[in-house]
Amino acid sequence: MNFKIAIAGNPNCGKTTIFNGLTGARQHVGNWPGVTVERKSGHYKFSDNKFDVIDLPGTYSLAAFSAEEAIARQHLLDDEPDVVVDVIDASNLDRNLFLTTQLIELGRPLVIVLNMMDMAEEKGLDIDADTLATLLGAPVVPVVGRTGEGLDLLKEKILRVATEKSQKTRSIDVIYPRDIETEIERINSLVKANNISNRRHRWTSVKLLESDKQTRDEVRDLDNGSQILDQTNESVDRIERLFKDTSRAVISHARYGFIQGALRECVSENLNDPTDYSRQIDRVLTNRWLGLPIFAFLMWLMFKLTYDLGSFPMEWIDMGVVGLMNFFSTLLPDTMFASLIVDGIIGGVGAIAVFLPNIFILFFIIAILEDSGYMARVAFIMDRVMHNIGLHGKAFIPMVMGFGCNVPAIMGTRILESRRDRILTVLINPFMSCSARLPVYILVAGAFFPDHAATVIFSMYILGIVAAIATGKLFSKTILKGMSKPFVLELPPYQRPTGRSLAIHTWERGYLFIQKMGSVILVGSILVWALGYFPREINLERDYAGEGKAITQNYSIQQQDLTLKYDASVELSRSNYHSQMIAFENSASFLFLRSQYDSLRTHISSQEKSELFLLKQTELGEITSKRWIGRLGKVFEPLIAPLGFTWREGVALITGFVAKEIVVSTYGVLFGVGEDVDEENQGVISGLRSSGMTPLVALSFLVFTLLYTPCLATVAAIKRETGTWTYTLFSIFYSVSLAYGLAFMIGYFGRMYNWLS
Amino acid sequence: MLNFKKPRHRLSTESTDGLRLSDLKPGEKGRITEIGGSEQFRQRLIELGLTKDAEIWIDKYAPLRDPLELIVRGYHLSLRGMDAQKIAVERIN
Repeated sequence: MNFKIAIAGNPNCGKTTIFNGLTGARQHVGNWPGVTVERKSGHYKFSDNKFDVIDLPGTYSLAAFSAEEAIARQHLLDDEPDVVVDVIDASNLDRNLFLTTQLIELGRPLVIVLNMMDMAEEKGLDIDADTLATLLGAPVVPVVGRTGEGLDLLKEKILRVATEKSQKTRSIDVIYPRDIETEIERINSLVKANNISNRRHRWTSVKLLESDKQTRDEVRDLDNGSQILDQTNESVDRIERLFKDTSRAVISHARYGFIQGALRECVSENLNDPTDYSRQIDRVLTNRWLGLPIFAFLMWLMFKLTYDLGSFPMEWIDMGVVGLMNFFSTLLPDTMFASLIVDGIIGGVGAIAVFLPNIFILFFIIAILEDSGYMARVAFIMDRVMHNIGLHGKAFIPMVMGFGCNVPAIMGTRILESRRDRILTVLINPFMSCSARLPVYILVAGAFFPDHAATVIFSMYILGIVAAIATGKLFSKTILKGMSKPFVLELPPYQRPTGRSLAIHTWERGYLFIQKMGSVILVGSILVWALGYFPREINLERDYAGEGKAITQNYSIQQQDLTLKYDASVELSRSNYHSQMIAFENSASFLFLRSQYDSLRTHISSQEKSELFLLKQTELGEITSKRWIGRLGKVFEPLIAPLGFTWREGVALITGFVAKEIVVSTYGVLFGVGEDVDEENQGVISGLRSSGMTPLVALSFLVFTLLYTPCLATVAAIKRETGTWTYTLFSIFYSVSLAYGLAFMIGYFGRMYNWLS
Repeated sequence: MLNFKKPRHRLSTESTDGLRLSDLKPGEKGRITEIGGSEQFRQRLIELGLTKDAEIWIDKYAPLRDPLELIVRGYHLSLRGMDAQKIAVERIN
């Protein structure tokens, strides 16, 4: 037999641990249709039956206020799982059972998992599981998810409930105070007249009494819909008059009343030794004085580990990529196909693959922070700061990570629960200056502000932060206005993460990167390669080969002349030499001639080299300018001319879209020193200086590089996390406009007040 | 750039002049008498167990004085001062 299982429960109840325990590695992560809420599914086999398991999003209720609640509710109602497994944190029964009361009403066969029994015992709680099972009308299985204790029994209970379900429906109801029950019964008698699924009657009636919008809409279409709604309005009125509160609040209070009644009968608190060790840890970690320094240290450590530890495998991957490129370029004949494989695909995708170690390490650290419970404390500590930008405290982490690389940072916004917060954080993240932009700053600032390079670079970082804050404030007051939710944050007890769940969490998120980035980056890299490769037939204005030959010839004549003159001088000197004491070859006059000759020869050959170099540079510049990429640069030239940029900047910025550090290697190509340049390359620096760029334009260019469209990988990440092209394209448009506006203003006011001239 | 003004926990004079959750100091206990604010906010808090008559224990304030951490029904919850101001309480010992 094949059974459908759904796991429901509060956030932080250890639901995912139970899910991992049941399914092991046989799971699949995707998104729920239409929303970016993670959808985890898996399966397991137990005594010849197959169980398909869905891990529903963690929710406190089924009121459908949030996307997570709506999804959980819709799945439970529409997909009719054979068994609903309700995971409950045994150390926090009151609140966890609130969801259970709704699951009972929903009427699907239920198995209740009392998770974290060890923590409940530590807290001094003694829970009578059998009595609880009787009171709730469903089997209750105590489990310690972290160790896997009790999982076999759980599988057995699930099987039993799944196979029993056809025989009887559960008879236990959540009992409300008499006045409420009377109204439920009034509505129920009308609802029952319809042949909607038998189990749903009471759920429907209670939800109607709670003024649940979705249920009202569903009922409206029934035959006696208007009659039911009339009765509902009447009942709601009566309840609200009687209890002087909204009917929804009255019923929620009644649910808690039911829970407390049940708990009185099956839980005894032994408060002799209530060791709340989490509070002890929090005395330090969220301490008024120590909290912030400790958090700052942990952030620094996370940053350090991500980028330092990641740099070793990064080098290996880089070496591997270079090795592959060499291997294929020797293997394949020098054709277009070879260039596509080597420069386009391996080079392009390889440039992104080097980030994999960073991303995996970062996700591993985030998994530790989340699983241990510290992430909630981060939100607690930083909320005051982030609230200013209209964000939740947790949003601080992706912002800091953005200094490293925006791609993992944007993927890290998954730690935020509300979609609005995620979108806002994603949109402002690219302004955090990532490490790929640093080589550009070093190159340009080094060329134009050699004495103040550090200040200029630092101010780029500050400008990025200011742009992020200003944008955050702007967006939270305009396009993302009113979507904000009240800050209500649970601070769960600290826990030691298990290696298994860390591995699963890290892999899940890292794999998404491999999968999605790979495809977009591949296409993008091929595109940029093609722009730089075609057209092959180029008519050069000058005969560079001929000119080169002429230069070489000219200098070899000069060398010959020099040698002839030298030989003549040596002969003359020898004939005038009479000393018997010292051989002529050791005489002062000969040595003088010799050294003069050597230095002249070196001088001539270096002149030759520099002339040839200049020629090569001009040639490569002309070739690039006539390829599509150069033509594209020329097309954009009028557009960026007001900023003082030439077609070279156009080309650099276009290629910088693939990855911002490529701006440096593009300049390398444009100034003829080859692609393999670093930011301290003198050829590029002198090229930049002689290209007519002024310090003011250089500053505009830096600001533009900082702010303009995030790189291709980041754009792909934005698309993935916001789920729509609308926000993705908006992000590109907004950042390019901001970059243009600021760069223009710098140039405009700079010229007006003669800055940096 | 950032606004580090002290969060205002001042009572608004036109509303009830009772004690607010945000008036309690760390270590003090209170019992909820009324929750104000939007329907959604109230409902969210009730679902989380901040029902009328529920006992609340203020544990601490965050290092930057906002939000605050409270214990209700045996678990720890964090609220911003401006939200805590919407909750009327009576002090208990």
